[in-house]
Amino acid sequence: MTADVQALLDELVRRYARGEPLDVEAALARAGDRADELAPLIEAFLARAPRRAPSPDALAYVRSLDEPPMLRARVGKALKVDDVVDAIVAECKLDAEARPKVRRYYQQLEGGILDPSRVAASVWDAITGLLGRSRALLSAPPGPAPAAAPMYRIDAQLSLSERLVPRSAAEPQVPDEVDALFLGDPSA
Amino acid sequence: MRDARDAEDERLLAEGETDRLLAGWVETIQDICVAKMRGPVGEDVAQAVCERLWRELKAGRHRDGRYPFRVIVHSVTRWVCKGWYEPGWQESELFDLDGAAPDESEAVVVEVTLEQFVATLPSGDGEVAALTLLEGLEPGEIATRLDKKPNAVYQAIHRNAKKLREWLEE
Repeated sequence: MTADVQALLDELVRRYARGEPLDVEAALARAGDRADELAPLIEAFLARAPRRAPSPDALAYVRSLDEPPMLRARVGKALKVDDVVDAIVAECKLDAEARPKVRRYYQQLEGGILDPSRVAASVWDAITGLLGRSRALLSAPPGPAPAAAPMYRIDAQLSLSERLVPRSAAEPQVPDEVDALFLGDPSA
Repeated sequence: MRDARDAEDERLLAEGETDRLLAGWVETIQDICVAKMRGPVGEDVAQAVCERLWRELKAGRHRDGRYPFRVIVHSVTRWVCKGWYEPGWQESELFDLDGAAPDESEAVVVEVTLEQFVATLPSGDGEVAALTLLEGLEPGEIATRLDKKPNAVYQAIHRNAKKLREWLEE
């Protein structure tokens, strides 16, 4: 059943005047097949309406615009990093032991330090499905890391007589399935 | 092309309170985008609009006051909504939000205001419309304020609603 367009418009106008959220999406849904009649009226009204005072939520939203978009979307949905990791692991059918590595990569992606163009479509499917935003909107603009001048301690002394011990075995790590999902398949 | 709505925006822009300036438009941008796009994709579109406006404000654009910020908001909103489904548009524009601005000569010049609508009404209905549309009062409060019978206020609100729709459709 569709509600009367005039009644819906009146309701929106009153809500606006009282400073309440309009919930345009719900109004269009209630208009049903007359949504195309209601939508231009809402647009025309909003173009002519008095300026609203910024709400605390709107101010917080604007201040968050400097954060990476994926972080902003996740926080906006009140999700933890682990929630996204779970979704990626499930979508890509990965083993549970892959979680720590997926988590590391996801955090790099979210922070804008991993090239989003190399990330597999299946990973993006999991992320966009959970965060409810398109891939284009979630991808942080690529760019070089900020350059930092090298820093040295003035009193640093290096005794070359000290024996250098390698931190780990010298065996090179073979890229696995998770690497391929986040860094692209080198064989492709 | 300037009106009373622009004064506060101009003050915020002059004082560098760009976050408060944009925040005053966020909900309007979201509502317009959802209406234009006919659904929740409007939230995505609104995000792109806000990101673009925020970057432009931080880059110092629009400080010359050549166009009221209100006109820029409506111009960018219309431009982003129009291009949203064009192939490749999202990728290129979203990664270069500091690129070319929309053609502001095509900006929607929003010169008409609700105050002007109220001014077109007969004085009695105009009083009721001002309190309904501009101050957000309920019919009972209006009746008390204007010392009118509630039924008379309801009838005026009904007449005004029909005229408002006609005015919006012009």
